Amino acid sequence: MQEVLYQLFGPNPELREIIGLTLVMSVLSTVISAAIGIPLGTWLGLTAFKGKKTWLKVNSTLMGLPPVLVGLLVFLLLSHSGPLGKLSLLFSLPAMVIAQVILISPIITGMTANLIALNANAINETCLGLGIRPGKKLVLVLQDFKRDYLLNILAGFGRSIAEVGAVQMVGGNIQYKTRVMTTAIMMETNMGQFEKALALGLVLLVIAFVVNFAVQSIRPRISND
Amino acid sequence: MIELSRIKVLRKVRLILGLDNMRFEDGQSYALVGENGSGKTTLLRLLAGIIQPSEGKIKGLEGQKLAYLPQKPYMFRMPVWQNVALAAKESPDNAELVQQAINAVGMQGYEKQEAEKLSGGEVQRVAIARLLLVKADLVLLDEPIAPIDVRGREQIDAVIADYVHKNGATLIFATHSLEQAMKLADQVVKLEDGLQQTV
Repeated sequence: MQEVLYQLFGPNPELREIIGLTLVMSVLSTVISAAIGIPLGTWLGLTAFKGKKTWLKVNSTLMGLPPVLVGLLVFLLLSHSGPLGKLSLLFSLPAMVIAQVILISPIITGMTANLIALNANAINETCLGLGIRPGKKLVLVLQDFKRDYLLNILAGFGRSIAEVGAVQMVGGNIQYKTRVMTTAIMMETNMGQFEKALALGLVLLVIAFVVNFAVQSIRPRISND
Repeated sequence: MIELSRIKVLRKVRLILGLDNMRFEDGQSYALVGENGSGKTTLLRLLAGIIQPSEGKIKGLEGQKLAYLPQKPYMFRMPVWQNVALAAKESPDNAELVQQAINAVGMQGYEKQEAEKLSGGEVQRVAIARLLLVKADLVLLDEPIAPIDVRGREQIDAVIADYVHKNGATLIFATHSLEQAMKLADQVVKLEDGLQQTV
């Protein structure tokens, strides 16, 4: 335990930098994914249109995307010979964020769509009956479900911070540049540096606990339908 | 006048509503009665434009300002006053009209109460109060008094009658209460297994 605390608060800033980078990456990925997933999921949940079932099935499949596959695709996309190679983003924080957004957006979209769909009939029929226009309806729904949205966003953050496969592939685990907690734990374990790996694991556990505690304390909306 | 001709509503292959010819005259009140699953809600949803008929035509709905109370009205997570005010047009009289509507359904004193904490009957009263602020030509109500206690039903019936009369609206409502049907309706329409029995 002493070694763990030394690693965390001692003179070497590496561990603190890893934690900081992990939080920056996870927060950025989650914010971007939420900006995509919340409006898209709300629209999908509220609106009936041809092909909606197919869209939702595709999204459900994307919710379970293997991180290494996403890592590989983003790697190929950003590598020098890839279509976005000129941007020189491979092995950088933006590359890790891109991979995580691909992984997390479908999760937030799907959870949001399912949540809204539970209440969609009641909302749509009530708004129609009161002459509330679609724009105002969307604003009302976004306000009404803000607590539930937070729940979905926190679930996305949980996925982001614990993810290892994709960020390892596109970030490269470069010291002081793209090394995050999960990739560092893997590396330290492989090198036999168990104290350092344990210290990182402990921090990851605390963050996961805080996120989980926050999720549990948010009361979800009960279906109106 | 609203006219439905040769209407069929199918769910997969099952007929859930089949009406050869049905008319609703302007300014008249109609009660839809029948057992659960007889097609009352389907007919109201059809008239509200929520569902489309599989076959047949509906004439006379164009340009009609609608007020519709679904069987399970949605309450937004905000106080009663704000929930009712959602239906009010922005105007200086807004606050007064909202309060009048709340008073009319007997919900005075509940203005600041969060809507999600209300009982089923109270939710229905608030939903009806909201509807009173809609200036409608066609009023569709799906079992408006079902969740309301026996003592409150008379009050709500009177509120509905007054609202429809003031607007000169056509009222079509589904009910299981023959007493309400006799009190509010000029005509009673009986549905059975999706088919019209008597008018």
